Amino acid sequence: MPKRLTVTPERCSGCKTCEIACSIKHFKVINPKKSAIRVMVLYPNPIIRMPIMCGQCKKPKCAEVCRKGAIKKDENGVILIHAEECVGCQMCVKACPFGAIYLHESLDTPFKCDLCGGDPECVKVCANGALHFVPEHIFGQDHRMSNVLSYMNMKEMEYTLQGEKKQLRYAEIGDKKNDD
Amino acid sequence: MEIRQAGYDCLVITGRAPELSYLWIDNDQVSIVPFPKLKGKSALDTERLVREHLGDHTVSMAVIGPAGENLVRFACINVDWGRNAGRTGMGAVLGSKNIKAIAIRGSNDLPVHDLNRLVQVSQKAYDYLRNHDLFTFWQKVGLMSVIDYANEQGFMPTYNFRDGVFDKSHKLNADEMINQGHKINDSACFACPMSCGNVCVVKNGKYAGTAVEGPEYETVAMLGSNLGIDDYAAVIKGNQLCDELGIDTISTGNLIGVIMEAYQSGLLTIEDLDNKPIEWGNAEAALDLMHRISNREGIGNVIADGTQGLLKKYPQLERIISHVKGLEQSAYDGRGSMAMALAYGTSDIGAHHTRAWPIAQELEKGDWTHEKRADLVIYHQTLRPLFDMLGVCRLPWIELKLDEHCYAEMYSAVTGKEATLDDLLEKSKHIYNLTRLIGVKHGLTRQHDYPPQRMTQDAVQTGKLQGCKIDLEEYEKLLDIYYQKRGWDKKGIPPKGKY
Repeated sequence: MPKRLTVTPERCSGCKTCEIACSIKHFKVINPKKSAIRVMVLYPNPIIRMPIMCGQCKKPKCAEVCRKGAIKKDENGVILIHAEECVGCQMCVKACPFGAIYLHESLDTPFKCDLCGGDPECVKVCANGALHFVPEHIFGQDHRMSNVLSYMNMKEMEYTLQGEKKQLRYAEIGDKKNDD
Repeated sequence: MEIRQAGYDCLVITGRAPELSYLWIDNDQVSIVPFPKLKGKSALDTERLVREHLGDHTVSMAVIGPAGENLVRFACINVDWGRNAGRTGMGAVLGSKNIKAIAIRGSNDLPVHDLNRLVQVSQKAYDYLRNHDLFTFWQKVGLMSVIDYANEQGFMPTYNFRDGVFDKSHKLNADEMINQGHKINDSACFACPMSCGNVCVVKNGKYAGTAVEGPEYETVAMLGSNLGIDDYAAVIKGNQLCDELGIDTISTGNLIGVIMEAYQSGLLTIEDLDNKPIEWGNAEAALDLMHRISNREGIGNVIADGTQGLLKKYPQLERIISHVKGLEQSAYDGRGSMAMALAYGTSDIGAHHTRAWPIAQELEKGDWTHEKRADLVIYHQTLRPLFDMLGVCRLPWIELKLDEHCYAEMYSAVTGKEATLDDLLEKSKHIYNLTRLIGVKHGLTRQHDYPPQRMTQDAVQTGKLQGCKIDLEEYEKLLDIYYQKRGWDKKGIPPKGKY
């Protein structure tokens, strides 16, 4: 089951420790400008901090525009830039709808998130729980759950279990309407 | 971080730009860009306009507001929205140079001698912090936790430092911030997992739409309880206004408190105050006064010159201005702690807790001698500035008890120069002595090392420390011992030729 990186922006504190971890992992240096994840910090209006990194698109625009075929999907669906085939034309940087491919003035080729080979460092250092590395099928589950939990027509009953007050919520069909 | 990545440890700006400009540092390219359009702009508008001018949203910025341009003596330098070089009027220094903003882009690798070692030490410190029992609590409330603590201990500045307990502090504390939905997010400094900052928004009422990175303990105490204001939304508004105008919330709250007391006790007349009454708890009047300080209008023009300016025009205020060496006292009432009085009295910059904050330790357990107090203050005055020298925060050490020795380990890993904590403290002590000597050169002597008059003359009115004030005779003894331990003479002057 392929795992993917995902973000809960409202949890991000803007500390950018993820950027440090990324640059250490990939370039053996401390340099947020060489990180494949970047925290965009916007204020005072709107107020949001959002880490931007590659979502490993199923139909990657970056690969589509690459004239050299240097951008390929590996067996886990991770999009990789093969530096030896890349000429540094920067088309992919402009083509990415999320701005998740990066350039640095000291490097000849662009770089992007490779999920650290399946164990992303950024997630490990995120102390606010804004970054997650989860199987693809989990995506959207939070929203599905909260959608269900906030269903308006739930019934509630209170009961006591071993002296402790509890509550049961349930959806009840009620008087069956004849709607056919 | 940007500045370090651009390749600089610090900036020295000499001279003055002919017209209002911003300093643009793009790695090794440095230019002074005239931009008169910035005149009178708020700090945040300045950030936005310069970023637009440069066409780069991600440059890091240090800016001043209109108060800095107008040379308000407690104007601050705002850095990337929320963080300020708040005290001692550095914003006015920048303003005097016609520099409205410093914009920096740095893209170099950080020079690190031994990356593996640094990662190892950092990982250890990081794991310690994240596994600390108070870690999530700290992320949730940060320094706002100090409100309840200070009030319980009885050293919360209240009604211009007259009292140490604010009976409406529950309307200003962390619970109020969370329960009223003011806090919308955590905020962290670069590379810090603790994220002690809070982003607050006022969602309804007359201050609706106000957003600020903060407020934190000092701001809430100085713009809240110290002014008798019990409305958290009003404090958020005050914080935002101070940020926009570019004035220090501590000095601002301190001096507005003085004006409120002076007006109500008759030390200043309504005419002195441009016929605008300002009573305890009057948030609107306080906000209005902030504008007038920043624009140097009427009484605002006098307050804008800080304690020194106010005392020059109204010497009768000496009795009620809490200051040391002309710097307005920060939000810890030291009347119950001789060590805190000594910390304020002997701090090189004046009545601020940055150099030493021994009050918690002294109030925690008894059995304090002057020897122990002096030792503690000197240890703080040595260790705490060391954090500033290293360019790191002291809060992991203070709040979550991170072992201070790890900083020496990090220093060694980064620089390649082996140093123990003691080695670094020795350097720090040396610098403290040098700083003292600079002061001495400019006339600093024993008479400047005393706590504010209020601390020695008016006792705390209520709470745990009721009746406490600093006994001057005892303070003299403590000061003698402090000087002796420092190796300074009776006037507080370091020996000749040693440093």
